[in-house]
Amino acid sequence: MADLQLDDVTKVFVEDDGNEITAVDEVSLAIDDGEFLVLVGPSGCGKSTTLRMVAGLETVSDGAIRLGGSVINDAKPAERDIAMVFQSYALYPHMTVRENMSFGLEESTSMPDDEIASTVEDAATMLGIDDLLERKPDDLSGGQQQRVALGRAIVRDPEVFLLDEPLSNLDAKLRAQMRTELQRLQEDLGVATIYVTHDQTEAMTMADKIAILNDGQLQQVGTPLECYHEPANLFVASFIGEPSMNFFDVSRDGETLVHDDFTYELTSAVASELGDHDELVLGIRPEDIELRSTQDDTHSYETFVDVVEPMGNENNVYLTFDADSTETFVATIDGLNHVEDGQSVIAHVPEDAIHIFDRASGSALRNRTLDTQAMPEPQL
Amino acid sequence: MATTTTDESEHTETESGLELRRIALYGALLALVGAYLSPLYSGLTTAFKTQEAYRNTSPLQPPLEGFTIDPWVTAGSELAFAMVNSFAMVIPAAVLSALFGSLTAYGLTKVDWRGQVFVLVLFLAAVFIPYQAVLVPLRQFWSMIGLSQLHPRGELVELTITHIAYGIPICTILFRSYYQTLDSELIEAARLDGASLARIYRKIVLPLSLPMFAVTLIYQFTQVWNDFLFALVLLSNRSNYVVTLELNALAGSMATDYSVQMAGAFIAALPTILVYILFGEQFAKGQTL
Repeated sequence: MADLQLDDVTKVFVEDDGNEITAVDEVSLAIDDGEFLVLVGPSGCGKSTTLRMVAGLETVSDGAIRLGGSVINDAKPAERDIAMVFQSYALYPHMTVRENMSFGLEESTSMPDDEIASTVEDAATMLGIDDLLERKPDDLSGGQQQRVALGRAIVRDPEVFLLDEPLSNLDAKLRAQMRTELQRLQEDLGVATIYVTHDQTEAMTMADKIAILNDGQLQQVGTPLECYHEPANLFVASFIGEPSMNFFDVSRDGETLVHDDFTYELTSAVASELGDHDELVLGIRPEDIELRSTQDDTHSYETFVDVVEPMGNENNVYLTFDADSTETFVATIDGLNHVEDGQSVIAHVPEDAIHIFDRASGSALRNRTLDTQAMPEPQL
Repeated sequence: MATTTTDESEHTETESGLELRRIALYGALLALVGAYLSPLYSGLTTAFKTQEAYRNTSPLQPPLEGFTIDPWVTAGSELAFAMVNSFAMVIPAAVLSALFGSLTAYGLTKVDWRGQVFVLVLFLAAVFIPYQAVLVPLRQFWSMIGLSQLHPRGELVELTITHIAYGIPICTILFRSYYQTLDSELIEAARLDGASLARIYRKIVLPLSLPMFAVTLIYQFTQVWNDFLFALVLLSNRSNYVVTLELNALAGSMATDYSVQMAGAFIAALPTILVYILFGEQFAKGQTL
């Protein structure tokens, strides 16, 4: 019933000197009931502005925002049946946790006091902050403040949750913990959620659906795996994934991709997908590069190890084609595989894992082929 | 080894240098304290001396011979009514100018509307209008309104309103700089919670401005309490005199009795000192914000 829809939503800011800045450019999105959508992009890409338009904190320059079928462009924030968690949490510092959580219900509903109290207590119990109700925000830890901010949103029982970088003020460990907790909470409540972040890990791990924004323009909407394995363009390919995809500027000569340091033979099936584009970018995810000791096929290249970053479970190995070169690309290998700086290795770039982009437009011409496997049912 | 010894000698050298600087600093500070306190001190000693003792002893000498509290009694009875007038004027003037200043600043920082820069510039400019520049138009304005003809206390109301109006710009500027540091997300959260502009002010902004209220109240209280010029121009009826005017009259009528004048000066200054003591903690909080 929520079905939040953004149709060609545009936000133009007019500066004092008359300059117009388009912060959000014709963004169209649809969020189904219970869906968790993550809006992700670099700083200044318009993701927060988009969220603030949905919240009613910014006016919409063009386009329509619909909630359950009716346009809410001009509705006041309080009339939109949405709740928002701010990056700073925006807890009222002079009120206790209980007062913070009750405030919205007191202001926007005619709920009797005892019902407000029980709603607040239920939400507090759900979030595990029921013993903090009489404390002031300043006396709480970052994680507890975060929970209060969530609680304040939950008690409103809204159609849509808006979360604006809610985890960015927490330390790494707590962030990972809250990430799981938020996901579980959202699943339990079943409320449509828009979550804004610049952190692609949060986007990948939490989202039902990711929407990637850059320069105010929507780059791709899809499941985390779609965005990871089938990026629509160079931006998405480079933004999603850590360490990010390796890119090589290549030009095409028939069925061969020519780079300054190497050539890459394509099968005719792959080559035919490229149309008449000649200036291309070859992309390969670090984990798809295999390091071998023998050169056994055309897609293997002699490389030198520049730097090794051991992560424990895996090693990020920075490779160069030339022992003296500083232009590196990265391969991720198992953490127990031992490689050393300066060592020479053979890098294998399998053809079914490569991505090819048009260099001028950045759009993907070919994405890797996927062979996903379901986890086998346990035989007990 | 050689390097260690140089290090040590340098160390002791800087330590003794530090010691000397500290002594010089405390010496200078003590001298300043003495310089600032000496007029207060001699005023206080004078206020406890009989006329004769005043003439025969140095002002720095404590009032051991010829000790009396008569000057305080005389000055107190002379100033009592004017003190009441002053309080009746200063309290509403300080509270209302702070309140209006806070409201104006809220409207100029946390509410978005066209043309607020122009209004802000007007307030900024108003801070710098000297008292002297408005004396004549002020007198003419109140003659036109004629509050003093309606009620014998009208003059005092005129003076109160004048001080409120004159205080709003500086209060607005003080509150504005404070509200600019207030997290806008708080206001937005309250808007999402369904609070109206007025409710946001009442429930969020006002409680969070209490330290700033202490600052503006102390400032306005002192400013208005000590004002002489507006009172001189607006008050003609002796029964409406505020304490600054009455103190002046006291000095005029008893030209030679310095003991009474000193006691009167202390009595007149007492409320401003008390206000600092009462709101001092809040004041310090507001200043560090």
